[in-house]
Amino acid sequence: MDKKSKSINKILLHSFLILGSVIMIFPFVWMLLTSFKSVTESTSMNPFVFFPSEWRFENYVEVIRQNNFFVLYYNTLAMMFFRVLFAIMFSAMAAFAFARLKFPGRDFCFGLVLFQMMVPPQIFIIPQYLMIDAMNMRNTIFALVFPGLVSAFGTFLLRQFFMGLPKELEEAAIIDGANYGQIFLRVMLPLVKSGMIALGIFTALFSFKDLMWPIIVNPNENAAVLSSALARMQGAYSVHYPQLMAGAVLAIWPMLLVYLLFQRNFIEGISTSGGKL
Amino acid sequence: MNKTFLKFGVVIFVSLFFIVACGNENDEGGEETGEYAVNGEVTLDFAIWDSNQEPGLRQIADAFEEENDGIRINITVNGWADYWTMLEAGATGESLPDVFWMHSNEIHRYASNDMLMVLNDQVDASDQIDMANYPEGLVEIYTLDDHYYTIPKDYDTIGLWYNKTMFDEAGVDYPDESWTWDDLYDAAVALTKDDGEQYGILTPLHSQEGYYNFVYQNGGTIITDDKVSGYDDPNTIEALEFYINFVREGLSPQIFGDAERATVLENGLAAMGFFGSWNLAGFSENEYMAEHFDVAVLPASNDGGRASIFNGLGNAIAYNTDHPEEAWRWVEYLGSEEGQRMQAELGIAISAYEGTADAWVDSNDLFDIEVFIDMVEYGQIRPYSNTTGVWEDRAYEELNGAFTGDKTVEEAANDAARVMNESLERED
Amino acid sequence: MLHSSKAARKPNKKNLNEWMWGWFFIAPTMIGLLILNIIPIFQTLYLSLFQSGDFGRGDIFVGFDNYIRMFNDPQVWHAVRNTLVYTLLVIPISIAISLVIAVLLNEKIRGRTIYRTIFFLPMVAAPAAVTMVWRWMYNNQFGFFNYLLRSVGLESVDWINSPNVALISIAIIGIWSIIGYNVVLMLAGLQEIPKDYYEASMIDGASSIYQLFKITIPLLSPTLFFITVTTIIQSMQVFDFIYMMVDVTSPAYNSTVSLVYLFYNNSFRYSNRGYGSAIVMLLLVIIMIITVFQMKAQKKWVNYK
Repeated sequence: MDKKSKSINKILLHSFLILGSVIMIFPFVWMLLTSFKSVTESTSMNPFVFFPSEWRFENYVEVIRQNNFFVLYYNTLAMMFFRVLFAIMFSAMAAFAFARLKFPGRDFCFGLVLFQMMVPPQIFIIPQYLMIDAMNMRNTIFALVFPGLVSAFGTFLLRQFFMGLPKELEEAAIIDGANYGQIFLRVMLPLVKSGMIALGIFTALFSFKDLMWPIIVNPNENAAVLSSALARMQGAYSVHYPQLMAGAVLAIWPMLLVYLLFQRNFIEGISTSGGKL
Repeated sequence: MNKTFLKFGVVIFVSLFFIVACGNENDEGGEETGEYAVNGEVTLDFAIWDSNQEPGLRQIADAFEEENDGIRINITVNGWADYWTMLEAGATGESLPDVFWMHSNEIHRYASNDMLMVLNDQVDASDQIDMANYPEGLVEIYTLDDHYYTIPKDYDTIGLWYNKTMFDEAGVDYPDESWTWDDLYDAAVALTKDDGEQYGILTPLHSQEGYYNFVYQNGGTIITDDKVSGYDDPNTIEALEFYINFVREGLSPQIFGDAERATVLENGLAAMGFFGSWNLAGFSENEYMAEHFDVAVLPASNDGGRASIFNGLGNAIAYNTDHPEEAWRWVEYLGSEEGQRMQAELGIAISAYEGTADAWVDSNDLFDIEVFIDMVEYGQIRPYSNTTGVWEDRAYEELNGAFTGDKTVEEAANDAARVMNESLERED
Repeated sequence: MLHSSKAARKPNKKNLNEWMWGWFFIAPTMIGLLILNIIPIFQTLYLSLFQSGDFGRGDIFVGFDNYIRMFNDPQVWHAVRNTLVYTLLVIPISIAISLVIAVLLNEKIRGRTIYRTIFFLPMVAAPAAVTMVWRWMYNNQFGFFNYLLRSVGLESVDWINSPNVALISIAIIGIWSIIGYNVVLMLAGLQEIPKDYYEASMIDGASSIYQLFKITIPLLSPTLFFITVTTIIQSMQVFDFIYMMVDVTSPAYNSTVSLVYLFYNNSFRYSNRGYGSAIVMLLLVIIMIITVFQMKAQKKWVNYK
C-alpha cells in the first residue's frame, strides 16, 4: 500500500468514526447543554434552542441543595460494588464448571440459567420485594444488592469465554497434580480477564440504571440511589428538565469512572496486530 | 482440594457477612423512620406523586412539626406510574406508607380491599374536620358505604387556555363566559393560518382535558349510574363530532401523545387548548406561556349547557399504620382550615376547604385563574368505576381512528361503547 | 453442548472428584437463581391460572381461561408480530454495524480511547435525556428528521403516530441503544484472538475483508453467539422505548405494542396479573423456541477451540 492511499484510508476511517461518535454522543451533549438552560429553553422546539442563552449554574446549585449527593453516591457505589463483586465471583465459578467440567445435571442447570434470561425482569419485582419485606430488610444496602446476588447473564457470558480456551491447558495442569480449584484460580481465571471486565462494566451499568427496584424497595431518602433520586425529580404534570439533567450529569461520573478504570485494562491486553484491517 | 475449597468458602462467607453487616448498619438508620426511636420521636412516611408540590408541602410539614413535638414527616415523591407500582407492592406486602395521596381512579380498589383506614370516628371526634366544609362531589368520590376513606386535599377543573398575542393579531375577542361552541368554532377558524404554521385550537385525544368536557356540556355521558358505557348516547356522539371536527377540518393538529400536548401551546403552534388547573406551576415557569397566555372558563354548548371535569385528591391513612394517632393528627392538619389555607397561599393546589380557594387565586398573578373556581359550580365529577384505567384505555384505542379519519366518529363511538361495556362486564 | 455428559455415567474416583467440584462451583449461582428467579417464574405460571384479586388476595382459579382469552385477543397477536418484526429489524443491522466499529476500534488508531469512551457514553446518558432527544428528532411539527425532509422538498412523516412507520422509528432507537453494548463485548472478545493468526495471513497477502471473514468472525464466534442470543432475548423483551414513545392513545399503538408492553399494562396498569402472567408465558415459550433453535444451530458456526 502506498503512502497516499494509506492516508486516504485513515481519513475515511476517522470520518466514519467521527460521524458515529457524533450520533452516539448526541444525547449526552444534549443532556449537558440542557442542564444549563432555562425551563422555557429546555422544551422549546420553535425556535429550536441548542445552546443555552446563558450558562445557568443555579440549576446545579438547586439540585445539590435538594438532594444529599453524598448519601446517593455512597449508596450507589456500594450497590455497584457488591453487585459487581458477586456477579464476577459467582458467575466465574459457575461458568467455569459449565464450560470445562463434566458432571450430572450440568446441561439441565445451564438450561435453567438460560431460562432465567428469557423471562422479562418485571415479573421478579413483586416476589423479590415480598422476600425483602419478609426479611425486614427494606431501606438497606443489602436490599439494593439482593436481586444481583447471582447473575445468569454473567454465567452465560463467562461460559462463552471459558469455552474459547484451549483444552490442553487443564490437561497439562492435571498432569502437574493440580486440582480443579487450582486450575480455575491459577490457570483459567487470568485468561478470561477481558470477559470479567466486560461483565463488571455491564453489571455496574445495569445496576446503575436499575430504577424500579430501588424505588420500591428503598423508598427512604437515606437509602435511595442516584437513579431513584432522579426519578423523584420528575413531576407528575411538568418536568423541570434543566434540573433533572443537571442531576443526571452529577449522577453519571461514578459510572464513567468505573468504565474508564476498567477499560484501561481492556487496552493492556490488546493484541499488537493492529494497523491493518 | 480441601484447602482451596476452604478458601472459597471463606471468601464467600466473608463477603456475605460484610454485606449483611453493612446492610444492617444502614437498616438501623432507616428504622428510625418507622419505629419509636429512643427519644419517643415518631416519623411518618408521607407518599405523594407530584414533585412540584413537594417544596410547599415541606413547609406545611415544618409548621406541623413545630406544633407537634415528637412527630416528623418524611415526604417521599415518585412519578405517577412509579407511585402506583410502589403502593401496589406496599399493599401486597402490607408495608404501605403511613399517609399517602389517593386518586379517584384507584380509590375503589384500595377502599374495597380495606387498605385504607376508615376515618369516620376520627372525623366525628375532631373539632377541625367537618365534611360539610369540602365540595360535596369531592367527598362523594372518596366515600364508600358511608365510610370516609380520605380527607379532601384539593380539587381541579379544566380551563380554556388561549394565546392573547394570536388573538390580538387575528382581531378576535378574548374568550369569556358568554362563549358558546359556535364562538369557539369561529375563533378557531379565524386563528388558523393556511400555511400550517398556526392552528386555531388544540383538540387532542384526551379524556379529562379534552372531549369529556364537551360530552357533559352537551348532556351526554361517559358512564351511566348503572355502569354502562355512554359512548353510544346520541348527545355524546354529537359532542365527539364537534370536538373531532376541529382535527378533521385542519383547525387543530393531530396530537395523540400525552407529553406532546403542552409542547404545542408552548411553541406557539396552536392558539387555544384545554388544560387542567394543576398545570399552573408548569405554565407559570414557562416564559412563553407566562407572556402570551391567559385562561378562561370553558365555553357553553349552543343550548347553554355548561360543564368542566372536576376531580380532586384526598389524603389517606394506611389501615395498618404503626402510628394511627400521629397519622391522623397529620391528615387532620392537612385538611384543617389552617393547613388548607397554607396550601392555597403557597399556590400548591386549589384547596378543598370552603373559602380557602381565594388564597390560591391570589398566589398567582400571571393568569386569571379564578375561572377554575368559578367552574366548580357546574363541575362534573370525572367519570369513574372500579376499573377506570382499563376502559379509558380501551376507548382510546377505538377512538383514535376517528381523529385520523379511518373511521367515522359514530363508528368509533359505537366501537368504544362496545369495548367499554365488555370491559365493565368483566369488572363484576 | 460441546462436552457431552457421556463420561458421567460410570463414576470412578476421578469422575466423582470432578462432579463434586462441578456441583460446588455452580452451587451459589443455582441456589440464588432458584430463590430469586425460578420460584417467581413458577409463581407466575401458577398465577396465570387465576383471575387475580387485588393486592394478591382473593384470586379465583379459572383454569385456562386466561389462555383462551389470550388466544382470542387480536391485540396479543399484533404484539407477537410487532415483537418479532422489531427483533428482525434490530438484530442483523445492529450486529453488522457494531462489528465494523469494534474491529476499527481494535486497531491501533489515534484517539482510540476517546472513541471507545464516546461509543460507551449513550449507555450512561439518563433515560430522560435519551427520550427527550428522540422525541425532538421525531416530532411531527418541529422535529429534526422532518426538518431535513422538508428542506430537501419532501413530505414530512409522522414518525411516531403513523402505523406504517412507527415500528421502524422505534427499531432505529433500539439499534442505536444496543450498539454500545455489542461493541464493548466484541472488543472484549477480540482481545482473545492471538495476533499470530493475522500475521500469518498477512504474509500470505490476505486482504482486510478476507481477514474479517476468515479470521475475525470465526474466532469471535463464541462472543458473537453470546451477543446474538442475548440481544435477541433483549429485543423480544422490548418495552422501554415503546412505552416512552407510544401512548395507548396513538393510532400506531396496535402496530407497535410489544408483548412485554401488553404484559406491563395488564399487570401494573390494569391490575390484572393473571392475564399479564399468561402473556409472559406466551413470550417465554416463543423465546424458548428461538433459543433452543440457536443452541442447536451453534454447532454449525460457533468455533470453540
